[in-house]
Amino acid sequence: MMQLRLTDEGRKYLERGLPEKNLIELLKKSPLKMDEAKKKIENFSIALQWAKKKKWVQVKDDKLFLIKEPGTIAEQEALKKISQGKEIDPKLLEILMFRKLVEKEREVEQKAKKLVGKEVLVLTPELIKTGLWQKVKFRPYNVQFPGKKIYPGKRQPYNQFLLHVRQKLVELGFKEMVGPIIETEFWNFDALFQPQNHPARDWAQTYSLKYPKYGRIPPKKIVNRVRATHENGWTTGSTGWGYEWDVKKASRLIPRAHDTAISPRYLAKDAEIPGKYFNIVRCYRPDVIDAMHGVEFNQTGGIVVAEDLTFKNLLGLLKQFAFEIAGAKKIKFYTDYYPFTEPSCQISIKHPKLGWMEAAGAGIFRPELTEPLGVKEPVIAWGFGIDRLAMHALNINDIRSLFSRNLEWLRNQKVVR
Amino acid sequence: MPTIDVSYKDLCRLIGRKIELNQLRDYVLYAKGEIDAVDGDLLKIEIKDTNRPDLWSAEGIAREIKGRITKNKGLPKYRLGKSKVVVKVDKKVSKVRPLTVCAVVRRLKINEDVLSQMIQLQEKVSVTFGRNRKEVAIGAYDLHKIKPPIRFTTVKPDGIKFVPLEFTEELTPREILKKHPKGKEFGHLLKDCKEYPIFIDSVGNVLSLPPIINSDYTGKVTEKTRDLFIECSGFNFKFLMPALNVIVTALADRGAKMQTVKVVYPDKRMNTPDLTPKKSFVDVDYVNKVSGLGLTAKQMCKLLEEARYKIRLKGKRIEVVYPAYRQDIMHQRDVIEDIIISYGYNKIEPVIAKLATIGSMDDKEVFSNTVSDVMVGLGFQEILSYTLTNKVNIFKKMNLKQEKVAEIGNPVSLNWNVFRNWMLPSLIEFLSNNQHVEYPQRIFEVGDVVVLDEKQETKTRDIRKLGCVIADTKVSYEQISSALDALMVCLGVKYELKAVTNTSFISGRVAEVLVNKKSIGFIGEVHPKVLTNWNLEMPVAGFEIGLEEL
Repeated sequence: MMQLRLTDEGRKYLERGLPEKNLIELLKKSPLKMDEAKKKIENFSIALQWAKKKKWVQVKDDKLFLIKEPGTIAEQEALKKISQGKEIDPKLLEILMFRKLVEKEREVEQKAKKLVGKEVLVLTPELIKTGLWQKVKFRPYNVQFPGKKIYPGKRQPYNQFLLHVRQKLVELGFKEMVGPIIETEFWNFDALFQPQNHPARDWAQTYSLKYPKYGRIPPKKIVNRVRATHENGWTTGSTGWGYEWDVKKASRLIPRAHDTAISPRYLAKDAEIPGKYFNIVRCYRPDVIDAMHGVEFNQTGGIVVAEDLTFKNLLGLLKQFAFEIAGAKKIKFYTDYYPFTEPSCQISIKHPKLGWMEAAGAGIFRPELTEPLGVKEPVIAWGFGIDRLAMHALNINDIRSLFSRNLEWLRNQKVVR
Repeated sequence: MPTIDVSYKDLCRLIGRKIELNQLRDYVLYAKGEIDAVDGDLLKIEIKDTNRPDLWSAEGIAREIKGRITKNKGLPKYRLGKSKVVVKVDKKVSKVRPLTVCAVVRRLKINEDVLSQMIQLQEKVSVTFGRNRKEVAIGAYDLHKIKPPIRFTTVKPDGIKFVPLEFTEELTPREILKKHPKGKEFGHLLKDCKEYPIFIDSVGNVLSLPPIINSDYTGKVTEKTRDLFIECSGFNFKFLMPALNVIVTALADRGAKMQTVKVVYPDKRMNTPDLTPKKSFVDVDYVNKVSGLGLTAKQMCKLLEEARYKIRLKGKRIEVVYPAYRQDIMHQRDVIEDIIISYGYNKIEPVIAKLATIGSMDDKEVFSNTVSDVMVGLGFQEILSYTLTNKVNIFKKMNLKQEKVAEIGNPVSLNWNVFRNWMLPSLIEFLSNNQHVEYPQRIFEVGDVVVLDEKQETKTRDIRKLGCVIADTKVSYEQISSALDALMVCLGVKYELKAVTNTSFISGRVAEVLVNKKSIGFIGEVHPKVLTNWNLEMPVAGFEIGLEEL
């Protein structure tokens, strides 16, 4: 059986009377001016439309006259009957449906009705719409149940950590430098005043390339200065290394062995003075792979170039890194050696969790490095060992886990905060 | 960097006073050292400077500390006498190991500490400074077992027999290279030689087969040995001279007497070692410009003397004289660092330079992050892979013909000997490592691949790429293409997909991704043959696009 119910509008007219009925009642007393009637009757246009249609009223000289007084109004009676659940004349129903005063109840709503007074599991849109939610009880759940496990999309934690470091360095005013993965020995070593065929170049084991073997050397002006500096110090005030520099060796290609390979390219061309630069790049060395040595690794470093920089500023820079990035509680400076800086320094920090650890190193680039590249100002070069901090942030002991191949671990790993 | 073992007591004795361990930790900074570990009397000291072999012994460390804390300042004084020992260098060695410099050290009081320091220093100098004995090999011998003159000559691989150190049987050089542990370790240094270098005395006793091993008879130094003959052999006096100086001055610091040896080459004669101090200078203003310490010339002079320089102030310039065991001073800067070290790094107030610079991340990095964030929003887990891989992974397993790629000549492992030239193999390898993990697996990586490019200075070009795969019991082309579409809509990039053939994917289910009519990558369902090659039992669909074209 079809269930009918009044719409909101229908319920309103049931209580307050249909607009046309109210109009008739008003006109029974006396004719009225149009705008007066408009003020007094709610939904006046609906009232007028239906009263005219039924030929109960007439408009003359902007005045409304009652021309026929109806007895009972069938629609008003029908509304009452429907509200009582009684049946009405189908033609009348059609009119009421047309006037959107009555609507048919859907099956789900009927079902919802059946739930009245019962305990329900699911709150449905129908229960909400019909207001029947007020008449049901909701079965309590086990609210301690955490739900089925889902795996959100997430950033790789080491990458996320590196992003934090990048952002921190940007906040400190550093601009990011980039360079090619495969680099000529010229930029990797020669431009850094690392002599060819000399023990001093052996500080880093490097990969060689089987293919491609040789790259192109930069413009002659720079190459000739670098050559002269290696051979006899050029005009830098240095003795030089005192050997015959080989351009062929300098043009050999190798996978970038250290991040400092990037700095001389910027010093030769793009560096702004004053300038603060950083890089976080992949480097390659033929280390035996173990818990502390991966196949590849990232190095974080950079340069600061400005007039009148001194060793005091170098210490200031290291101190800033220690407190701002590494979260140091205490610091200590160590004498140190880097093949392309003089003087050089290392900073150790007291980390709140890890205790004393080496954190960063820096030095002032040798003039044999900067002057051939056309830079007269002092350049502080720095490197920052962030992998240990990353391992701490990721709660891992094996450096290879930074590049984890374990999906379950990645899924369950906390985000870096 | 060399890490050396030093006896705490011995070091204190060399310095001349007892020093508390915590105090010593600060003092070793003067020798660019750091105490890494303490085990009873044994200190493990890491010396940072790889270009200062003179610091790689208890004697060397003591020299630097003494200059700073005792009255023992200025140039260390050494007496050099003359021995009657002659070394004749045969023309034949010019082809195999052309040069040697030698010395005699007498009246050495050898005890356990002296012996262990001597052996250690010899080892560190020849390994770290002498490039694993290639440039510098060092031998020390009991002088009393040698009958000079000594000849430095060559022999055929089977031309002589002697008992090598720590052995009991006589072996020919060829046999030593095969059987003796040092022969196995250093034999490659004589690989292409038809004859081998040899030190031999006037009665035919072999001293050594450099750079491999001493003879057991002459070359065994014990606590009973009093007088030593020492030689360094190699190719370049620039390395040999300082190496010899470092060894003999360390022994002289123990109270031994040094004497020269006459080395006679076919075309020249020389007396070695040469301990003549060397000269350099610093300008007072430049010292302050670099250090920022605002020192007076007088203060500088004092700090230089503490660093074992002899000084002479000439107006605005300080002339310095430094010991012959140092070979690292090329520029004023090298001297300035010694001034700052004497001053003490931890006594200097760090000053943060106030520079008006604007920080920024590289554009490529910024965009990579944006793309990664969109991929995370689409429910993908980011992974990180090595750029090194192997040809099997990027070609054979992917059902592709092999092409040229950037390849390493001296790989540590054949698993990692080429640079990846595309991303998907890294992702599929990841999937194959995680088959026990709950599906669906949705992963992505933003990273670099290396492609060959003749036009580039480095003959290669790095391309920043996005790779993305879905693996599940049911995976369709539509799933992956709707992920790509969502990404492109987010980035506001108009693109087209064009059907192509690619043997890594199922025919008819692979397309090229075109942006502005240019191909930036591809998308498709991975070929079952590829899946089988990776032992994968789940279907996989994926895409890979270059980010630089977006």
